[in-house]
Amino acid sequence: MISIKGLTKTIEHTTLLDNVNLDLAPGRILGVIGPSGNGKTTLLMCLCGLLPFEKGSITVGDRTLRAEESETRSETLWMFRRKSGIVFQHLHLFPHLTVLGNITEAPVQVNGTPKAEAEREARALLEKLGIDQHRNKFPEELSGGEQQRVAILRAIAMNPEVLLLDEPTSALDPMRSDDVRNLLKEFAAAGHTVVIVSHSVRFLSGFADQLAYMGRSEIIEMNDTKELLENPRDERTREFLRRSGLN
Amino acid sequence: MICSLLVINSLTAVAQPVLRWGGDPSGGAPYVFADPANPQSYTGFDYEFAEALARQMGMQAKFVPTDWESIVASLQRKEFEVIIDGFEPTEDRAREVLFSKPYYLFRLQLTVRRSDSRIKSLEDCKKLGIPVGTLVNCAASRLLESEGYKSVGYQDPVGAYQDLELGRVDAVLMDVAGEMFYARQNPKLKPVGEPFHTGAYVVGIRKADKQLLARVNVAIDSLANNGTTEKIFKRWQLWNDEQLTLRTSKPAEIKVTGTTLNWSEGLIKLTKAALVTILIAFGAMAIAVVLGIPLALGQSNGGKIISALCTVYIEFFRGTPVLVQLLFLYFGLPVIGITLPGWLTAVIGLGLNYAAYESQIYRTAFQSVPARQWHVAYSLGMRPVQAFRRIIFPQAFRVALPPMTNDFVALFKDTSTAFAIAVWELATAYRELANATQSYLGIGLVVCCYYLAMSLPLAHYAHRLERRLQRKSTGIISSGADK
Repeated sequence: MISIKGLTKTIEHTTLLDNVNLDLAPGRILGVIGPSGNGKTTLLMCLCGLLPFEKGSITVGDRTLRAEESETRSETLWMFRRKSGIVFQHLHLFPHLTVLGNITEAPVQVNGTPKAEAEREARALLEKLGIDQHRNKFPEELSGGEQQRVAILRAIAMNPEVLLLDEPTSALDPMRSDDVRNLLKEFAAAGHTVVIVSHSVRFLSGFADQLAYMGRSEIIEMNDTKELLENPRDERTREFLRRSGLN
Repeated sequence: MICSLLVINSLTAVAQPVLRWGGDPSGGAPYVFADPANPQSYTGFDYEFAEALARQMGMQAKFVPTDWESIVASLQRKEFEVIIDGFEPTEDRAREVLFSKPYYLFRLQLTVRRSDSRIKSLEDCKKLGIPVGTLVNCAASRLLESEGYKSVGYQDPVGAYQDLELGRVDAVLMDVAGEMFYARQNPKLKPVGEPFHTGAYVVGIRKADKQLLARVNVAIDSLANNGTTEKIFKRWQLWNDEQLTLRTSKPAEIKVTGTTLNWSEGLIKLTKAALVTILIAFGAMAIAVVLGIPLALGQSNGGKIISALCTVYIEFFRGTPVLVQLLFLYFGLPVIGITLPGWLTAVIGLGLNYAAYESQIYRTAFQSVPARQWHVAYSLGMRPVQAFRRIIFPQAFRVALPPMTNDFVALFKDTSTAFAIAVWELATAYRELANATQSYLGIGLVVCCYYLAMSLPLAHYAHRLERRLQRKSTGIISSGADK
């Protein structure tokens, strides 16, 4: 469950997010679309507690982060961060750890899961995506698609309430592969929330339950995927969809 | 006039109107030293004696300042023609140089702290196992060595007596001339026992210059007999009736102190020195590696004041010579009541110095880890300390390792600066053994082997470690910045 209220974020007098409001029920997959430079990545960074903001509050599950706590190194912030996991556009795998190490590091270090157990769980996930044979390789030995799978599993292994993916389709094909999509759907079906930022409306149209169109620093329109694509209410949404060749 | 010059020229192999003589003016009082009243010129009894000697020979004296330890080597390199610097005849030197007649007879004096009641004689030092401080490469050091005393070698008398005062050594043995000038007036020190062990100061001359030797001997006799020598040494309050025996034309019976290199003993000494070198290098590196971390963190993330302080520290230690820093710690700190032994001074001094360099290596290494690695770690729920220890540090370490290895090898070599503060490490051992035996080449090769035996395995191990880490992945493939 996500609930964003009046989220405002500025950097050096530039408003990146302006009074953003958003509610999302658990078990749902939300796609965020819109032109680049409109604050989509900023929204994700705020959502996972990595970027402080000036106004508003964000609730993920049973944890709420208010603006004034977002900048401090408070206990609230640390606990809030554990509620969500993020897969960055450029992945940023840990280059000094193996595939297995990348996935088990946080469960072992943060949750105190016994190493053997963490590895067993990690291998189950790796098998699901068909890359268990690479478990002892280092990230640089993997293809781009394999790296992305590892990055997704690294986030999922911490069992976050919300999973955030930033531009997962750029130049990579695994998001089009069934096993990755099934994994994410399964993850959502188990009561988690998934937010995917992507410029590829085509990809999201067949995957997300809901779509949000993000104009300059605000969410213009949010609706069920089918509804938003077929009956966009706002002129700016229509214009964007037309340019994307989807309307 | 012209006639007599021609005569001199035809008589001597060294046909120079100028007599170049070598001596060490640093800590050289009362022999030859910079005149405190007029620092551009020199003074001292040897300075006056050299002037008188040259005049007697119809020549003009020209002083060539040199280093005491390598004074014989400098003579051989023809930097000057004669050595006049409280130079004593010894067996090993006899193989290298000719000795003139003695122009002064000296004795040795033992000095201890006034408060010390344990030591009544030199023998007590042996019985109590107390090391005796002395100048390197002099009659006293040879005497101590040949009679099996433990000793600590100093470059100049100031350092020796200062360490005695500070309790770093408990006894100092030196020529009476030096003792009178540096220790007799010091209320904290006292001479024990009578002066003993008569030795002589002579003029040192290259083996080939036999004719010069004859002329110098004639001149020394003349100066002794016409009272010039007496006048000079009386002025320096070093005259005694014993000197009168030098007026007879027959050469006085002179005790020649000698050491010949015993290779097995020499190797044991070098090995001990090598162990000291290793101790200093590892100790200093440990300090540098640890202290570099807060310096690097303070400089990059410490807020204005802490960052400025760290920068001052780093620039100070990188911008001044490590030798000066060691001397400062060794001789400067006792002024404010902190007296450290030499080896500890070397460990701390080199450690503080190299910490400045390590901090810069760390800074570069940490800057090479993308900020997103922190973000990922935080998003996985890690605390800053966890993220640093498990994610950031291992990556930075791989970047830092090669330059750190370089620094460690450099540090090994920099331990040689500890010779300046009387630490018996490998470079000091080389200078002292080579000087005592004049075997610069042989001992030098052995010493180089020791250094290589220490640094090569280190470089090899570091290289292997690097390769292992390299194999574990070279770079960060997806290092592009997200928006």
